[in-house]
Order: sequence, then structure tokens, then C-alpha cells
Amino acid sequence: MVININRDFCKGCGFCITFCPKKVYERSGELNKKGYEPPKAARPEDCSECGMCDLYCPEFAIVLEKKSA
Amino acid sequence: MKNQGGDIERTIHPLAAKYLRQERMPHMACPGCGIGQVVHSTLIACDELALTPENTVWVQGVGCSSRITYTLWKGDNIDAHHGRIFAVATGLKLSRPDLNLICFTGDGDCMSIGGNHFLHACRRNLDVTAIMFNNAIYGMTGGQVAPTTPMGAMTPTTPYGNIEDPMDSVQIAMAAGASYVARWRSTDFRQIVSSIKKGIQTKGFSFIEVLTQCPTQFGRYVLKTGDPVKILQWYKDHTVTLQKAEKMTPEELKDKMLIGEFAHRTDRTGVVERYWDMIHKIQSERA
Amino acid sequence: MRRRKRKGKKHENMFFTAAPDKPLGIRSESIREIAGDMLPGAERKNRRLNVLQKQECSINKYFVQGDEAIAEGAIAAGCRYFAGYPITPASEISEAIARRFPEVGGVAIQMEDELASIHSVGGASAAGMKAMTVSSGPGISLKLEGLGWGIKNELPYVVVDVQRAGPSNGVATRVGQADLYTVKYGSAGGNNSIIALSPMNVQEAFDLTIECFNLSEIFRTPVFLLTDETVGHTRELLVIPDASELKVVPRRKPTVPPAEFLMYPLDTPGTIDYPYPNIGEGYGICVSPYTHTAKGYATTSEKDQDKMATHLVRKVTDHLDRLTRVQEEMLDDAEYGIIAYGCEARPAMEAMKRARAEGIKVGFLRPIIIWPFPDEPVYRMACKVKKILVPELNRDGQLSREVQRAAKGQAEVYHLGSGGVETHQPVHVYDELMRIMKGK
Repeated sequence: MVININRDFCKGCGFCITFCPKKVYERSGELNKKGYEPPKAARPEDCSECGMCDLYCPEFAIVLEKKSA
Repeated sequence: MKNQGGDIERTIHPLAAKYLRQERMPHMACPGCGIGQVVHSTLIACDELALTPENTVWVQGVGCSSRITYTLWKGDNIDAHHGRIFAVATGLKLSRPDLNLICFTGDGDCMSIGGNHFLHACRRNLDVTAIMFNNAIYGMTGGQVAPTTPMGAMTPTTPYGNIEDPMDSVQIAMAAGASYVARWRSTDFRQIVSSIKKGIQTKGFSFIEVLTQCPTQFGRYVLKTGDPVKILQWYKDHTVTLQKAEKMTPEELKDKMLIGEFAHRTDRTGVVERYWDMIHKIQSERA
Repeated sequence: MRRRKRKGKKHENMFFTAAPDKPLGIRSESIREIAGDMLPGAERKNRRLNVLQKQECSINKYFVQGDEAIAEGAIAAGCRYFAGYPITPASEISEAIARRFPEVGGVAIQMEDELASIHSVGGASAAGMKAMTVSSGPGISLKLEGLGWGIKNELPYVVVDVQRAGPSNGVATRVGQADLYTVKYGSAGGNNSIIALSPMNVQEAFDLTIECFNLSEIFRTPVFLLTDETVGHTRELLVIPDASELKVVPRRKPTVPPAEFLMYPLDTPGTIDYPYPNIGEGYGICVSPYTHTAKGYATTSEKDQDKMATHLVRKVTDHLDRLTRVQEEMLDDAEYGIIAYGCEARPAMEAMKRARAEGIKVGFLRPIIIWPFPDEPVYRMACKVKKILVPELNRDGQLSREVQRAAKGQAEVYHLGSGGVETHQPVHVYDELMRIMKGK
């Protein structure tokens, strides 16, 4: 899965970090232009493609693309 | 697998691209607010039913429920006065029975000032799908007590603690005649999608209450935390499914909110169908 | 009117009517005309009195209440959505519409309260229907919130106010004239573009209802038919012309694609004759109670707020030439004047005629479009006459105040007030005229 994060939409709620069953996300340490701290996909190779981060995100800020074969 | 975050073209969500006005993004919800999650679930339901901005109208009221959703939808957005959403929807639907109406309302908008119109929309079995964001507070105006706020809550208008009992909108919807009634938490994603789809496909008034976390007002005033993750945990601790509840004692069920599908009636026609049937009948008799 | 059967003996060719002729100035020719049709030997027309059964807009004469005439006017104008709530003395409009709308393909619904009815009318208008709601004083008070939504979102629809004695519930079944300011200024936030028309008889109740719908489409705003219980409940001759003779303004549709269309013409304040797109056609209509941009997006900027307020006000003030309509009688040589509207107009005109018969030069002016107020014609009258008498059914001098304002000191203005329940009689107006002439 390719994990795209729209840093400008993110409001730093932390849902993806907390609820990813594989702990793919963590805090990025960088603020966006609104002053929120978006996450980063620290361990994308562990992604199980469950799609929960996409569903949990209230901001449509996580865009998942299935890797083409 | 790569993280390609930050590339704007690759980070427009496909559902947002299909259904939402890009110039209105990001929407105005607070960080961690549950409304955005429910909007997401709504778009999934719209996508799975192949609804389009041309055949579906979003109707709103006043409050977070409405300010966040108003003008997000690419199609028509009809934002009514506080509480009047179902009155407006009655006029819209009777005039254009062919269009799908998705009505976003809040607990204050629907159950307080809009109570009367809600009752009659249920009674008339108005053929719309109503999604009520129940954050148990008046969020937009600063956290005042709502008809759904728990007893004892300290809010700006109940500084000594709320001494009024909260009301159960699901029970009222069922008693008043709604065809489809469900309640979920904002994180019951698949159930919400399923309920919205059922609601849209059910002829008659579909009422889906979603318990949405409000970190800014309900969280800070009532739960003494602004952490959305903790608030989601509170909802998890204070909700129980209908199936589980059957096996629990009243004591165990105290302070718990029931979630699940409460009613799904397909036997009743609704006001829109009845009015137009009557009109066509009378016109053909006089022809 | 009815034939009377007494002790088994039918009295042929005897009619009596409870409708007083002279005081209210009801045209006696209207009763004679109907009576003539009913005499033996006259061709009997297939109609029922008091209840309209004909298809819309056939050439025909009816003897109906003002309330029923308003219902027929709405049908003739193309109104096909109605929502109301029972309230005396407007219920007869709702009842007539409930009978007639299904016959012509219209939806008539009794909503759960006054607010629901006006809000659903707003929704129907946004959905492309010509729509109407009716009420009386206390119900209009409730509807004002919905009216604001209609004004702000430039929704065309008609609100009928059948005024009754107030304040509050007052005397439900009797006449008053105290909503003049309510309809203009009652809705929150001002910055409005209220247009209100006022009929004085049953024929006008029909004609002006059509005109209300036309103006609502042209100006994209709710329009009031400001009538009263006396006109609403008086039965008189109504002539409904053939449909081909009626001038009905349709809803304008955009001629440009959605990407080029702006919902609200705020950059050209005062624009009228502007399209209103259908919902469900890709135009993405945005309607909201909040201040909006030209696209309909909510905004808090001072500039946008001012643009919107300016546009809404100038929609009316820029087009006063199209919104001035008065009835003027015998003003050319007048030395004294009477100004009245609605049910007060006919007693006032009778008083004028009586004074004229005695050689007193009295003229009369009646606002037909009462909002915007006809400042120009009233000022012209004030420049001619020394004193203006304003009979009206309220004690707070609403019409008098407007006349005084418009007169700009050119004439003295006298208020002949009454709390309502009964209209003024011609003798009341005449006596007061004599008093003010003698320097009351």
C-alpha cells in the first residue's frame, strides 16, 4: 500500500497513530502551516492494508493506494 | 511501500474528489471531531449506491452538524434555520420526490428547537435520510447544555451541574413512526455505511444517530479532557450493543447508551408517496 | 343568498342577502348579476355558489369570499405548493386550496406549526415550485424567522397576512390593520427587500395575488399580500379571466452552464430579473441562513456582509418605478385628502363622495403596493392639500406615521384610529374629516 498524507488537511488528532493495528504511523515532529503536527508513516512496510487509518481520519488526509502488481 | 506524503496531487482523497468541493477543504471541524468521520462514511455509502451530486441534495440546519457539512457537497446544499431542517426537507421532497435528500442535523438542532418538526417528519414518514450528530452539547455556540447532555454535566449554562434528564432520540423516532432507526458511534464505520445505505434505500424516514466525539466542548467541559482518543474510549465504555444489552441487568445498563439497528419497517408508505398518489388520482377522476 | 321555504310554500324569485350593501360599498350590481342568472328562464349555469368547482382560469363569474379568491389567484399564478396552519381568519384560504390544489396538480399540506409551513414553502421554492403560505397576525409573528431565510436567499414565494385585531391573539375572528410594520420590519436583521400588496375587494384579492407571485419572481424575494379579515370574509363578485388573458411571470432559469453561474448577484447590487436554477441539475445551489458570498458560501467578512445587505435593499429601492402603484381619486383640485388601504378604503371613499356632494374638495389616495411605501404619490398629494386624514384599524398610527414621513411637512396628517373588530363606517370618516377641516 502506498500511503499518502495530505499534510495541509491534517489537524493532528492522532487517530491514525493510535488506532493503526500495525503501528505504522508516528508523530512527524514537524508542523504544517496551520500549526498542527501531521503524522508520518514510519513503518509503511508493516501496513496490512486494513484501511482503518483512512476511515479513522476525519479530514480525508490519508490517501491509500494499493500497490499495482 | 513508500510514504509519498506531501504530494498534493497524490493526496486528494478519491471520495473527496468525487463528491466534495475542493475549495471548501479542509472542512471546518475541530481536530478530532467525529463529524468528519461520519461525512467520510456517508461518502462511502453514496459511492456504493452510485449517488451523484445531481440526484442527491444535502440539507442542513444550524450548528456544527451543519456548518461543517454546508457547501462541502458538490451538489445542492440547502441549509435551513436552526431546527427547521425537516420542515424545509418536507417542501423540498414534496416538490422533487425524485431527489435523494440527506439531512445532517445535530442533537440541539433536531431534539431541542427542531423537536416538533422531527416528530412530524417521523409521523409523516418523510422519505429522507437523517443523520443526527449527537455530541451531547451545543458545540458551535460554546458548549452549552443540550437535551442529550448527561446528568451532572458542568457546562457554561449548567455551572452547578445538569439536573435535567437527557432524552433518547432513538426511542422518540420509533414511537413517532420512523421507518429506519439506528444509533452508532462515529467509529462504527462499516455499520454507519450500512445504515446510511439502508436508510437511503428505505422508503420513509430514516434516522441514524451517530454519537460523535466533541473534543473542544463536550470533552473539555464534561469529560475534563480535550484528547479525542480518550473521548472515543469514553464512548466505548458507555455504549453497549442491543444484542449484548439483552443479557444485561438494568443496573449494568445504567449510564450506557444502546447502539445498533432499532427499527427497519418497510410496510409503511410515506407522506410524499401518499400526496402524489392522491393528486394523480383526483386529477384522473376529473379528467 | 338563498331561497326561503316557509310552511311548504316556496317563495319564487325572492332573495335576501345578509351582505350589507351601502356601508361596505359592496357593489350591488354583483348581487343583481348573480340573482339574474338564477331567475327562472335565465340560462342556468352549471356552477355551485361559494365553492369553485371549475377548472382553473375558465371565464366565469363567482360569488366568493376574498379568501377563496386568493386561493384561485394562487392557482392562476401557477402556484403548486402550499403549506399552512389553521388560523382565523386565514383558514378558508387553506381549505379552498386543500380542495383545489389536487385538482390542478398542486401539493397542499397542513404543517405542524406556522414556522414549519413557511420553512417548507422556502424549501419548495428552492426546489423550483411557486409556493405560498398564509396566516394572520400572531402566525405572521411566528413566520418571521422563515421570512428572513427567504429574503436572504432570494427565494420567490408569497405570504398572505389576513390581518385581525391584536395585539397577540387579540380578537381572532374580527378585523384589524396592525401588521403594516410587522411585515416590513419584523424579521430579524433588517437589510430587507419587503414588497407588500394590499387589496380592497374580492376581485383585487384575486388579481393582486397573481401580481404578488409575479413580483416575487421578478424580484426574487418573498412578497406579502397584506389583506384583512373584512376583505377575506366578504363575498363579492369575482371574475376569473381566461388563462390566455393572464400575465404570469415564470421562474427564470439560467442560460449559462453551472461553472459560469453565480447564485447571488452581489457584485451588481440591486439586480433583479435574475435566474433561479433548479435543484438537482448540477448548479450546486447553496442556500443558508448565514451571510453568504455570491456563490452562497458562508462568510464573516465585513465587505461581503455589506455587499449582501446593499444588494437586498437596493433590489427594491433601485426599482421604485416598478413598485409604485396607488389608486388616486379626485386629487386634481383637492384641498383635503384621505389616505386608507384595505378594508378602510371603501368607507373612506364613501366619505369622500359625501363631502364632494356637499361641495368640499376632498381627494383620496390608496396604496395598492404598500411596501415599498408610495412616498412620491403621497408627497405630491401632500403638496396639494392642506390636511390628510388617515383612517386605519390600529391605535398606534402605523399608516399615519408613514404618510407623515412621506408628506415631509407639506400637509398636516391626522390619524383616525380604532383598535379594530369593526371597520370604520363612512360616517365616522366623514365626521372626522369635518372636525379636522374645522381645525380640531
